[in-house]
Amino acid sequence: MGVSVRQWVLESYRSLLGSMKFGSKGTIIWDSWDMWVLEIAVLPLAQISFFYFLVGYAGYSPSMVEYVVVGNAVQTMTFSSVFAVANITSSDKWQGTLSSLLVTPANRASMIMGRAIYQIIMSLMISITGLLYGYFLFGVNFSSADYPMLALSLVLTSMSMISFGLLISTIGLYMRTALIVANIFLFIGLLVCGVNFPVSALPSWLQILSYAIPLTYGLQAIRGSIAGASAASLILPISQLLLTGIIVFGFALGLTNSFEKLSRKSGKMEVY
Amino acid sequence: MSRLEISRFQVVKASMGLTARNFFVDPQWIIPSIIAPFVFTMVSLFIFSREAGQTSAVLLAAVLGGGMMGMWGTTVYGSGESIGFDRWNGTLECTLSAPSPLIWIIMGRVLWNTMEGSLNGVFILVIGLLWFRVGIGIANMPMFVLSTMVTFLSLSAFGMLLANLIVLSRRGGFITNGIEIPVYIATGTMFPIVALPLYIQGISYALGPTWGIDAIRRSAIAGYNSGLHVSIYFDLLMTVMATILYMALSGYLFVQVEKIAKRNGTLGDY
Repeated sequence: MGVSVRQWVLESYRSLLGSMKFGSKGTIIWDSWDMWVLEIAVLPLAQISFFYFLVGYAGYSPSMVEYVVVGNAVQTMTFSSVFAVANITSSDKWQGTLSSLLVTPANRASMIMGRAIYQIIMSLMISITGLLYGYFLFGVNFSSADYPMLALSLVLTSMSMISFGLLISTIGLYMRTALIVANIFLFIGLLVCGVNFPVSALPSWLQILSYAIPLTYGLQAIRGSIAGASAASLILPISQLLLTGIIVFGFALGLTNSFEKLSRKSGKMEVY
Repeated sequence: MSRLEISRFQVVKASMGLTARNFFVDPQWIIPSIIAPFVFTMVSLFIFSREAGQTSAVLLAAVLGGGMMGMWGTTVYGSGESIGFDRWNGTLECTLSAPSPLIWIIMGRVLWNTMEGSLNGVFILVIGLLWFRVGIGIANMPMFVLSTMVTFLSLSAFGMLLANLIVLSRRGGFITNGIEIPVYIATGTMFPIVALPLYIQGISYALGPTWGIDAIRRSAIAGYNSGLHVSIYFDLLMTVMATILYMALSGYLFVQVEKIAKRNGTLGDY
């Protein structure tokens, strides 16, 4: 029986909507009030403070201190956009619901995406809190900031990093867990994405990884927006951010099907 | 002691052995607890090495601090997650109703976790040596070994104290994730605590590992004068005193926590 494109779109939309509601009601295991407080208020402050004191001790200039504060404020969004999203499939596995989900005819990508969507709001809240800490506690200067561009850069960074989280989440369909990889990518951005020092300071072989992660471009756009750079100069990092986000998202969609097939074939869907 | 009873030492040994075997069967689970200390250390080394004026002593101090963070990370997660996994798998009630007091079971787990963290410390030292070419010449080896061992015990004792909270609380993830980075800051793992505001320094002095890491640096780096303005013997004394205090407090709390947990009957909730 063939399925028309219209039917497919409608079905996918319904799955997306359903899992969005499901996701917002707390199917993602970290979704409890204490984790909200931890992610939004505690972790950004702790991480920014650590690197703020570190660069202060190392004797860096105030502009470099600001660079580090903004970098960490934005990077903390990965707690939500990468870590929480990456663990969607693994949490289904732990709770024994993955195999039930995979026997439904619903579009897999829609189901996973629906549960990831509300993490856009969460990751934005984390980064905005981080930037507010930057302004009120660490002396980041927002006097020249271009707020519409800053908002656009933050939203696009969040969406692109969620695509990255989805890509890792697909691993959980086949491997025992995506938790390990999620943990690695939760923090690796601190090292490779220009959060605490420019990417050019890294060895060239490591820079390849830097430019494959959307956060690298997101940070360039956000720092530029805060410094009040012209819209023309922000077009390049924003385009790169969009492009990497789309590529990563495409990979995530493609791998969802491939990893599902592999896990069905190996029969290891419930192994963790 | 009747023949059916087993000694505390045997309980600690058995618990430690089982935790070690669990680790060797599935060593990938060390990654979540070491990734943050590892990346934080690498970033710190990049930051220090980019600053032209930084000496090899500063880099060595950072590498030693990184090792400490590795031990700390594994202790915190190991202590927190061992109870968390019990709760998750539905074995916490069984563990608590076993004839062996919970404190000795947890002690075995925490000791192994701290030991596992030492492996991470060694790993960071090797990275520092190979990648950042940090010269690892230990100025006073016997004192370095002694300081490391005393700090190891202090971390384990702190882990015990933490485990108490997690037996009662369903918010183990909140506690372990929330406490990790603040303790890196407060104990001066990467920068001396004099670089911190005074109100944080007050907390720092109450933490045994703060004195421990100072002792480790003082014994490893000749002429080290960036830390606390005390002698290495005073550092060691304070670490030992903090360890004894933590142990006494956890001993008392474990008894209370066991009573409360059994009375409330909500151990399995998560």
